[in-house]
Amino acid sequence: MNQTPTAVYIHTPFCPSKCGYCDFNSFAMEGEIIDATVAAMRTEILSSRWRGRPAKAIFFGGGTPTFLSSAQLCGLLECVMEVHPPIPGAEITSEANPGTVDWPKFRDMKAAGFNRLSLGAQSFLPEDLVRLGRVHGPSEIGRAVGEARKAGFDNLNLDLMFALPGQSEIAWRKNLRLALELNPEHLSLYCLTIEPNTRYYRLNLRGMLDLPDDEVQVAMYDDAVAAMTVAGFEQYEISNFARPHKECQHNLCYWRAEEYLAYGPGAVGCVEIEPGRRLRYTNMKHPRGYCEAIAASPTPVLLQKEVIGRTTEGIFDARGRSPDFGRDEGVASGPAPLHCETEWVDSVTLRTETIMLGLRTKEGVAASILPEIAISQLVAKGWLELHGERAILTPRGFHFHNEVCAELI
Amino acid sequence: MNRSNIRNFCIIAHIDHGKSTLADRLIEKTGMIRGTAQEQMLDSMDLERERGITIKMAAIRLTYRANDGQDYELNLIDTPGHVDFTYEVSRALAACEGALLIVDASQGVEAQTIANASMAMNQNLEIVPVINKIDLPHADVDRAKEEIESSVVIPADDAVLTSAKSGLGIEDLLEAIVQKVPAPAGDVNKPLRALIYDSHFDPYQGAVAYVRVYDGSIKPGDKMMMMSTGNVFDVDSVGFFSPKLERSDILEAGEVGFVTAAMKTIGDAGVGDTITLRDNPAEAPLPGYREAKPMVFCGLYPTDGDQYEDLRDAIEKLKLNDAALTYTPETSAALGFGFRCGFLGLLHMDIARERLEREFGLDLILTAPSVDYVVHRTNGEVEHISNPSEMPSPTEIAHIEEPSISATIMCPTEYVGTVMTLCQERRGIYIKSEYPSQNRVMIYYTLPLAEVLLDFFDKLKSSTRGYASFDYDLGDLIRSDLVKVDIMLNGDIVDALSFIVNRQFSYPRARAMVDQLRKVVPRQQYEVRIQASIGAKIIAADTIKPYRKNVIAKCYGGDVTRKRKLLEKQKEGKKRMKQIGTVELPQEAFLSVLKVAE
Repeated sequence: MNQTPTAVYIHTPFCPSKCGYCDFNSFAMEGEIIDATVAAMRTEILSSRWRGRPAKAIFFGGGTPTFLSSAQLCGLLECVMEVHPPIPGAEITSEANPGTVDWPKFRDMKAAGFNRLSLGAQSFLPEDLVRLGRVHGPSEIGRAVGEARKAGFDNLNLDLMFALPGQSEIAWRKNLRLALELNPEHLSLYCLTIEPNTRYYRLNLRGMLDLPDDEVQVAMYDDAVAAMTVAGFEQYEISNFARPHKECQHNLCYWRAEEYLAYGPGAVGCVEIEPGRRLRYTNMKHPRGYCEAIAASPTPVLLQKEVIGRTTEGIFDARGRSPDFGRDEGVASGPAPLHCETEWVDSVTLRTETIMLGLRTKEGVAASILPEIAISQLVAKGWLELHGERAILTPRGFHFHNEVCAELI
Repeated sequence: MNRSNIRNFCIIAHIDHGKSTLADRLIEKTGMIRGTAQEQMLDSMDLERERGITIKMAAIRLTYRANDGQDYELNLIDTPGHVDFTYEVSRALAACEGALLIVDASQGVEAQTIANASMAMNQNLEIVPVINKIDLPHADVDRAKEEIESSVVIPADDAVLTSAKSGLGIEDLLEAIVQKVPAPAGDVNKPLRALIYDSHFDPYQGAVAYVRVYDGSIKPGDKMMMMSTGNVFDVDSVGFFSPKLERSDILEAGEVGFVTAAMKTIGDAGVGDTITLRDNPAEAPLPGYREAKPMVFCGLYPTDGDQYEDLRDAIEKLKLNDAALTYTPETSAALGFGFRCGFLGLLHMDIARERLEREFGLDLILTAPSVDYVVHRTNGEVEHISNPSEMPSPTEIAHIEEPSISATIMCPTEYVGTVMTLCQERRGIYIKSEYPSQNRVMIYYTLPLAEVLLDFFDKLKSSTRGYASFDYDLGDLIRSDLVKVDIMLNGDIVDALSFIVNRQFSYPRARAMVDQLRKVVPRQQYEVRIQASIGAKIIAADTIKPYRKNVIAKCYGGDVTRKRKLLEKQKEGKKRMKQIGTVELPQEAFLSVLKVAE
């Protein structure tokens, strides 16, 4: 059994409401389905085939983990810590929505072992928050930060988004200022991306989203980088900024193309099965399908086939129609397996991912795995720099990350 | 089979008059293929079935017991209907004694019906008029007969009435073939003379020659000789079409079939050549037929320069099956090594491109189609130019001549005005009109070929709600005021995008071209200036702003697979781009010229 410490991700798919831009696996559901799903997640974690492997970082994402009750959330962390004992100093993060937290919940979470919070602030301007469909108002962000501090959290992240519909550069700079006034240890500043299968995508197709031009988006990004630098943050990834030593350890595991274990509906894990060969798996996405799969077989069978089947969408649609829906369409009888998608990551694919992920960060990638000619061309363009053994994107190169990767993979 | 019981015939018709369906019914009726639900049986190319048209002629042997109690061997040669493939029709005719002339009962005689019928009559073929689709609500059999008599000038009283769709009248048609089409002449005891009227390449058997035997006979083991080259081959197999190749013991005078003889190269089975036997050769070859003359030219280049040799191979093989195609090597500063190819028309060009891409797995770039211009230089020299980039500078040109066509357009009388306006706009010269029946008119025009190349036929169809039909013959050279328009990207001329146009249309065409390019050229790292010029004078220009960013804001554990696949796709897309100076051009850019006819 591999005993290397690893990152562990827990996905809680429930939210008070679905935001127009969100394409994560999240559901605005209430009642017993939440209890059933939490119970199934406990079963999944406790029956893990990777039990005993230490955790170097644990991350609860969603969805909205804090939409769960204190008891549910802390109970899940307890299971994770039992199965994957955290190494000393391990980062244990939960995402939190400022509209779903209060001091007692933060206190319980701190007591259970969480030591970092990531607050989905998104914007400090009321008109932005309404348009985004968020359940919280600007004042609740400050309140949440205050209560988190009071509960003893000394490692806080704020998520902000820019290039929102109708957003001006002035409004964005104001947002940055208000965020910095709260003195977080970490900031994630994301350019709004219009993803397929979202309400924003459909609105945009009809020309009903007033999105800023490329030029404005670039200016907003450059403003953000400048403001962060002045405030003493280091940009350690394309969209992430941290005070010294406060980088998100969990996310760094992704960007270093390390292994990660994952539990919960729609969670994606990537783990080495044999030397040079990793399995990436996606859990059944819909909570009902997930519960059923866990009930049938809590420890997933690792199939050798490339793809097991596209059963998530077929059996359970977004409204959670009958679990029997689609059963006749050639899907094997009995509950669908827990892993709805699997993919083998071989050494070639891993190299591609290592480049794509590593170049997002200030650590870059080992120059030895890159084609030499492409390196010199990209260096000449001012997009790439060599620092000893590492090839690292320049600030300008960050703007063209895709372009650079397409040259290097 | 006794020669007097053989009938060789073809089917000629205007496009869409139901030729291939009628052929299907004949095949079914004679029981060649039982229980096949597939339609368009003779159209063996995927492309033909997809587009619902016949591109290559196909042949099949049918066995039919007639009312007189005797068995007949009917060799049916199906032919294409589109005006671009007229050449294929003329070759098919050479192998036959009779032709079924199909006229759609609801559409009446069309321009191509007349063109094909007159071709058949010139070859002394017996014409059997057939009025098809008689069960359509708009069918007007009397009018169709009237039009056949007045414009094709053959008696139509006893025209066979059919509905290929429902199978009506098929028995009558088979009887008419037996009774009206003459048995082949020829003498089985004379030395062998067999005309190669088509061929295709088979990777295992080499060239397969489609032949019509006029005299003598041929069988496996014979030493056959090509009369044009004197080359000798051992006959491997002979046979007929079912429509698959069906081996038989011998092919005799009067019969249609195929011959294989391990012929390895194109020249070995030249279409139009006569096959005889080495040991008992015929004195003189059969008359071949007029070589098809390509009228449209364009450059064909592999997207990936490494595929040049593959492209040459593929064109050589295609040429074997598509005798009208011509090609010569050429080079382009923008595209590297390729070929200048000649085609019968745009549809032919498009089909050839698609066959090369599909059947040979190539990825091609086509340059703007052009006609063959005759350029008179100021120093008295005269040259043919079909590649716009080879056009001399304006100061060296005394004048230019371009090919013209004599067009025949047939349509209901209410569209006379529309058709004439369209022809006028295309620099047409009115010749005359005729009225073959009360409400139909035939209009004759001389038009510059270049003006009908791109979309004339589409425009004609749409402005007459599909009622007009069109046919043309190549006419004389006409002197015209033509200019070459160059396209520059960031100051570099892209030779593959240059085009020749009448001076009066040069500004709007240049503008349209620039607009089209602005749409299809993706934003690049640097600003891209697009300019169109005549000589040193810029007549249209635009710019494409550089992209400012290309980055994904978020990438965490669950996103990795999808983002990686996007990158891999982007990389694949880059490979298909052509680097022209500092600018990357997608394949579509080179097709822009086709899209800016207006």
